[in-house]
Amino acid sequence: MKTLSPQSRNSRRQVTQGMDLTPFAQAVVNGLLMGGLYALVAVGLTIIFGTMNVVNFAHGEFVMLGMFATYWLHSFTGLDPLVLIFAVMPLMFIFGALVQRSLIQRVVSDPHETQILLTLGISVLLMNGALLLWGPEPRAVPTPYAFAALSFGAVRIPLPRLIAFLVALLLAALLWAFLTRTDLGRALRATSENPDWAVLMGIDPVKMYVLAFGIGIALAAAAGTLMTPFFNTFPRAGVFFGMIAFVVVVLGGMGNILGAVLGALVIGVTESLTGQFVALDLSMFGVFVLFLLVLIFKPTGIIGGGRLY
Amino acid sequence: MDAKSLPAAGRKAAIRTPGNVLPLLLLAVLLAFPLADPDDYLLRLATNIFYFGALGCAWNLIGGFGGQLSLAHASLFALGAYPTGLLLINLGVTPLLGGLVGIGAAVLGALAIGYPTFRLRGPYFALGTLAFNEITRILLLYFRDYTRGPLGLIVPFKGNNPLNLQFSTAEPYYYLGLAILLLGVYAGYRVSKSRMGYYLAAIRGDQDAAESIGIDLTTTKLKALVLSAALTGLVGAFYTVYIAYIDPESVASIDLSIKIVLIAIIGGTGTVWGPVLGATILIPLTEVSNAMFGSGKAGASLILYAVLLIVIVLFSPRGLILWLERPYRVLLARIAGKG
Repeated sequence: MKTLSPQSRNSRRQVTQGMDLTPFAQAVVNGLLMGGLYALVAVGLTIIFGTMNVVNFAHGEFVMLGMFATYWLHSFTGLDPLVLIFAVMPLMFIFGALVQRSLIQRVVSDPHETQILLTLGISVLLMNGALLLWGPEPRAVPTPYAFAALSFGAVRIPLPRLIAFLVALLLAALLWAFLTRTDLGRALRATSENPDWAVLMGIDPVKMYVLAFGIGIALAAAAGTLMTPFFNTFPRAGVFFGMIAFVVVVLGGMGNILGAVLGALVIGVTESLTGQFVALDLSMFGVFVLFLLVLIFKPTGIIGGGRLY
Repeated sequence: MDAKSLPAAGRKAAIRTPGNVLPLLLLAVLLAFPLADPDDYLLRLATNIFYFGALGCAWNLIGGFGGQLSLAHASLFALGAYPTGLLLINLGVTPLLGGLVGIGAAVLGALAIGYPTFRLRGPYFALGTLAFNEITRILLLYFRDYTRGPLGLIVPFKGNNPLNLQFSTAEPYYYLGLAILLLGVYAGYRVSKSRMGYYLAAIRGDQDAAESIGIDLTTTKLKALVLSAALTGLVGAFYTVYIAYIDPESVASIDLSIKIVLIAIIGGTGTVWGPVLGATILIPLTEVSNAMFGSGKAGASLILYAVLLIVIVLFSPRGLILWLERPYRVLLARIAGKG
């Protein structure tokens, strides 16, 4: 109950003063912090789409697997999730690369419908496989800083969420640097712009697809690791993030990394404000309404799709 | 189509007859089946196959013939189911009228998805349907004053009353289900032979080429989706009274959407009989898996669906009906040869 007291103090102040902007500021901050995690999940989705034009409907389940990987590694080693991220990302990169090479690669040149059906099948398989192996009960990864928070006036910033936000943006920035500053990154971008011409430059597109899928999955899993200090780990934990990532990617322009980051922050704030000022149960409703509005009025996204940086 | 590929024109008429007789024979067997006094479990299993076959047929109109992947058919089903259930429970309105309201709701839902997304190329329609399905589920859970939220609707049994579509025995539900399945098959047959069907086939093949020969993409896809939604809403309405209990997780979740898609895909998308074959395979298979692993939330049947989906997409994307087509033609030819 003690952890709830700042919130209740805020709401009491709102009643007495009427014009207090604290709930609004708090909702925006909460939304931005969540938006950072959404950005990481969505950047992974968008790099996969941007490179091989495949919509990965299993993306949320890779977030979930990242959470479970963190949970199990933590229970064996007792290490902090921020350390375990260095193990989870390579592991999930390999897993993602294997999934790409063994399954996704077979449908790379098929219509979207076929690709979606395949990744949907992978999604259901991973989710219910996790359910079968580990059961439905929520599991927590305890950290010493789980309840720590910074205060700026009346606005409260929970430390684990701030860390997750900063690490997420750092990883997105590293990806951007990789794509623009390294030869391998340039090869990846070349493949995304024109696979046929990339072949003429001596680039093997299949290798680039495996690389892009591995990176996308590693980023999704990293988001999963980062959220373990404040979200429970369970088989359906990724569903929500997968859906959010689709909305973000469409909003940001499909295949556009900067757009995905900006879109994620917009979505985070939209969700948070709907939850705060309309109804908590309807926060996702606000997100989906925004999604449908984007499809109607600006289907290419707020920045414009098609470019991988 | 099958008659055309044969050389001698004289054999055409002879072959066409068994081609018509065999489905009629199957129908006669299905009509007579309850007379053999099977136990209720078998009747209910058959009824489930009929209803899910009809859902597969409905999905097939837009997802199969038009190649537009819809993951919103659970919500369209729910939009047919909820108004019917609510009107019957609260106001005692017959499902025959309530079903019309449900069909209307499903059609409006279809327009809300189709209008913004059908103008776009790429995976937007599939993504839009996913979002719509979630919106419907969230709203059904949220407006619990009307929908009872997660508790769901229980349709009370008010005695044997054909007007309420409530019967004390399983047989009438069986025939009702069979009638709806026939309607679904008929809709698929009519669409496949119509101008719209050819437009849809062109769109499925290549949207740009279809547009360049003057096909109005948005209107054609929208028409097919509306027809599909109306049929789905109708099944939702009848199914509600049959099963007597609906809740957002069972009628508006993505799992049901996947099940509907799977039925069409296993059988063969874009074929008249594919969804019927798909339901005939998938529904008993689900029963077997539930019996072996329990029907709880442990997701064994969903693992089965997932594996089937992956295997079919990778190895037999045109569905299992492809494997039956040749033996069926040989059978037809043999019957014709003897006759």
